[in-house]
Amino acid sequence: MRNYLIRRIISVLPVLFFVSLLSFAVIWIIPGDPTAAFLDASATPEQVEALRDNLGLNKPPLLQVTEWYGQVLTGNLGQSILMRTPVLTAILERLPLTLTLAAMALVLAVLLGVAAGVFAATRRGTWADQTVMTLALLGLSVPDFWLGLLLIVVFAVQLGWFPSGGYVPFMQDPAAWLSSMVLPTLTLAVVQIGFIARMTRSAMLDVINQDFIRTAHAKGLSELYVVTRHGLPNAMMPILTVTGIIAGALLGSAVVVEQVFALPGVGRLIIGAILSRDYPLIQGGLLFLTLIYLLINLGVDLLYAAVDPRVRLE
Amino acid sequence: MSTQALDALPKAQSPFLTFMSRLLDNRSFVIGATLFLFVVLLAVFADVITPYEPNANNFRARLQPPSAEHWFGTDHFGRDILTRVIYGGRLSLTIGIAVVIFTGVFGTLIGAAAGYFRRLDNIIMRFMDALMAFPSILLAITVAATLGASVPNVILALGIATTPHTARIVRASVLVVREMEYVEAARALGAGHARILFRHILANSLAPLIVRLTYVFASVILAEAVLSYLGVGPPPPAPTFGGIIANGRDFMVEAPWVTLFPGLIILFTVLGLNLLGDGLRDVLDPRIKV
Amino acid sequence: MNMKKLSLGLAMGLMASIAIVPAAFAQTPGGEIIIASVQGPPSLDAHVTNAQVARNITLHVYETLYARNENGDAVPDLAESVTVSEDGKTYNFKLREGVKFHNGKEMTSEDVVASIERYRDIGVSKTLVAAVDTVAADGPYNVVITLKEPQSVFLDNISSPRAPLAIYPAEEAAKGANEIDYIGTGPFKFVEYIPDSHVTLEKFADYVPNPAYTERDGLAGKKEVLIDKVTFRFIPEAGARTAALESGAVQIVETVDGPTAERLRADPKYIIHDVLPFAFQVIKFNHALAPTDDVNFRKAVQAALDMEEIMEISYADINQVDGGWVFPNSPFATSAGIDQYNVADLEAAKAFLDQSAYNGETVTFITDNLRPNVDVATVVQSRLEAIGVKMDISVADWPTTSKIGFTPNGWNFWTHGFGIEPFEGPGTVMSAWVGGSGQMVPDPEIDRIAGEFNAALTDDAKKALFTEFQQRMFDNMVAIKAGNYGLFQVTNDKVENFVSFRIPRMWGVTLAQ
Repeated sequence: MRNYLIRRIISVLPVLFFVSLLSFAVIWIIPGDPTAAFLDASATPEQVEALRDNLGLNKPPLLQVTEWYGQVLTGNLGQSILMRTPVLTAILERLPLTLTLAAMALVLAVLLGVAAGVFAATRRGTWADQTVMTLALLGLSVPDFWLGLLLIVVFAVQLGWFPSGGYVPFMQDPAAWLSSMVLPTLTLAVVQIGFIARMTRSAMLDVINQDFIRTAHAKGLSELYVVTRHGLPNAMMPILTVTGIIAGALLGSAVVVEQVFALPGVGRLIIGAILSRDYPLIQGGLLFLTLIYLLINLGVDLLYAAVDPRVRLE
Repeated sequence: MSTQALDALPKAQSPFLTFMSRLLDNRSFVIGATLFLFVVLLAVFADVITPYEPNANNFRARLQPPSAEHWFGTDHFGRDILTRVIYGGRLSLTIGIAVVIFTGVFGTLIGAAAGYFRRLDNIIMRFMDALMAFPSILLAITVAATLGASVPNVILALGIATTPHTARIVRASVLVVREMEYVEAARALGAGHARILFRHILANSLAPLIVRLTYVFASVILAEAVLSYLGVGPPPPAPTFGGIIANGRDFMVEAPWVTLFPGLIILFTVLGLNLLGDGLRDVLDPRIKV
Repeated sequence: MNMKKLSLGLAMGLMASIAIVPAAFAQTPGGEIIIASVQGPPSLDAHVTNAQVARNITLHVYETLYARNENGDAVPDLAESVTVSEDGKTYNFKLREGVKFHNGKEMTSEDVVASIERYRDIGVSKTLVAAVDTVAADGPYNVVITLKEPQSVFLDNISSPRAPLAIYPAEEAAKGANEIDYIGTGPFKFVEYIPDSHVTLEKFADYVPNPAYTERDGLAGKKEVLIDKVTFRFIPEAGARTAALESGAVQIVETVDGPTAERLRADPKYIIHDVLPFAFQVIKFNHALAPTDDVNFRKAVQAALDMEEIMEISYADINQVDGGWVFPNSPFATSAGIDQYNVADLEAAKAFLDQSAYNGETVTFITDNLRPNVDVATVVQSRLEAIGVKMDISVADWPTTSKIGFTPNGWNFWTHGFGIEPFEGPGTVMSAWVGGSGQMVPDPEIDRIAGEFNAALTDDAKKALFTEFQQRMFDNMVAIKAGNYGLFQVTNDKVENFVSFRIPRMWGVTLAQ
């Protein structure tokens, strides 16, 4: 197990290296520079040039690359040009919101998705199965930002139940925090509920048809008991796989949802950094998001290995 | 993995007819194909069907609610939303097809190279992993926002974002097929790499690829909408599904129809593609999940 | 809030109400106002940004020696007065005494000198102080500035809100661009900036309003704060901003669109403030690139456009179809060249096009992704299509678009707002076209007129030169001004004594309980 662990952790490093190269490539391709965020159309090219100098942006790019890797190895992602804080601090300040949002959506999606999937599987072929699966497919097909906009119109504007956006820190006012997270969480979860419901159903169907389930039924055990004690645990592997995939996808969708609901999370931080050409923040942010994604996948892989020894030998 | 697909294809009589009759027996496929075909036909015959010009401005008729003249209402240019939604299908579907071809070609080449030439495998797949780990929507935003939001750039952005996963799927089936006896046999008979790859291995990797590409198509329709929403979609005046929604976002409360109807069409199209994909998967390769 | 703070707040509120507000007013001073804005500022270092979003906030925190009043004239703010030498080259500013920075320190000439020197070094609009030769303190409350040449617009320049020449404490002024602590002398002091979320300012308790004034007057005048706190909350989604207003989460929305304004106007709970005119909508031509290098092509474009269509689609219900290169209420307003504006005649346009060298090539219209700008491009595209001109619209974000638009390649048309120039006056509007800075190829006539304008001493001479300038803008079709647009600012019925201006001023405003 330990060898496997080490091998998997080491395999993350080249990926991270490629990602950092990619983000450098991205920055080289991007036209424009951070000065544009400071200046309106009345600026002249001379003003732009002077501001570049004043913000320290006129160093040759190659130097920046080597400097940056040097810094990263010492755990320093550099300084944000616009926000004036270290990139790492900026990200760490935003991270809890994004992770909480993603985690809440994931929990909601797993709870509802697994329940819906099990329900459909145990009623295979009935109208109930078809209805649930159609809903799951609809959830999977809905554009998330559009759903978010509709939720704002219905629940924030028309009904006034939840705020239309903005964020209240938990420590400041737990009730307001919860209220501000409801619509974003729902928006983020809907697509994933569909995924998990479909996966759970098909995994359950595979298990249900196996002999030991038939035996359990034959022994006269209750449906509920059979499903929860025998069926579900054996369907966990594929569900776990999908959950791993989803955790990654959630990070991507969170970017959009944060934009719709004006939440100051990592996604919006990076979009803002891209739009204002805050290079160190773009690079640090992308590196960090990727790292989280890889860690989630690593976690899922390790869980597998723990569950199924054959994986470790692969 | 695709042994069942192999069984499915070369049965007795006409394999194509068998395949088609299986597809037509599959309810997901039939419903999905109908939905999707409907959207495609609308887009193709847009000139004939639509009562208005898609880009004709008439600000005196702006933001009109749905009515007998304008079933889906008008946007803030006074343009007929129904007409724009129907025309929007043209560009949205074209982008979808283009990305499918992009990811189909590059995903296959990269996946096949990685799966077949073991020496390349590690480096290629680590690079693909990096691209996959890169949040694809951010990648697309970066490309489209910075290189300018032209249609080719949107296609490029979404193509790059969808290729790694495709490559991974192709690689996986190549890994299975390359060890099979008939490939060994071909190799023993002195067939070259290219011939083995294209005649024997890729032909049998087609099933999972086709299923994957259907889902890619669906995800591209959604991704175009997100890019347009974030202001980096295809430029005006040509309508796209996402572009119409983005146009209405400032008037979301006063004129919800501008955002509502194109969103429903997206839902409809993506639902159709997903059902189509489910059907193809059931028939072509029953072991692939989700 | 604990009891001690509460009672202190009450006591202060009570004192303030006795001291300042006539008893007839029912409301108690205090409370927090939350303003919904579209986006956050790039920086709160006023010297290094001329972005509107920054100005909205920085002008609450910092002040300038002179500031623009309601009419856009330069009047004393931190300065008490100025004496100008006879040769027009020496300005001796007498500073107000007893002005406190937010850190408690008194403002003296040392701070003013350091701030002006910093601005001359790294200010983004340092051309405003290009005429300055030396800056020196003369005792604690006098600052002497000598100019290289006499400059009639010097006070206008140093009072410009473009990138304000804010007075910082000397120790902050010693810091580099975007590295200062946000300390000023303004009526509000900085509390926090959470990017993508909000900026919070609070009332500066030791603020002493300029005794020379009795009323609010533009960005100068009496700045009396009657609330405790103001928060600028950044909400990019228009519908979400309105929803926040209607749910009472915010009291002011900085800008709403026409249809929203129309809906809210019907509700007595909201007051709509029309800020019109706020800016020009300008369509620039690149004179360095065919076919926009051809005056007949440019005239064809002007002749083809229906300005009402452009303005109504981009800025529904809050626009003026006006082709003059100053706002219509300006003393400089003239009808020179206006006969060529808003012709909307496709036949006349085709006639110009036939005289031009245009032969079917595709022209490029660049714009950032602000909806109204994209709308302008879209409408122009459709009008030009009708006279047989092929156009690609290239939409990118602001950094990319401005990068291209500042070069003579890659674009034929570029549209954006011209907000601060007309506010500053005709001299600034002209300077945007001097040396070809806006159109990429110098126009010797424009350069000559602008040069004479800057040297002109009488209003009559200036007016005559401006008329000549506007005529030239049309005759050479240097650029197109589509019209003026405005903003709808919305306040709810809790906000009282709000008077709209270029920035949402929070001094003088009260909050009903």
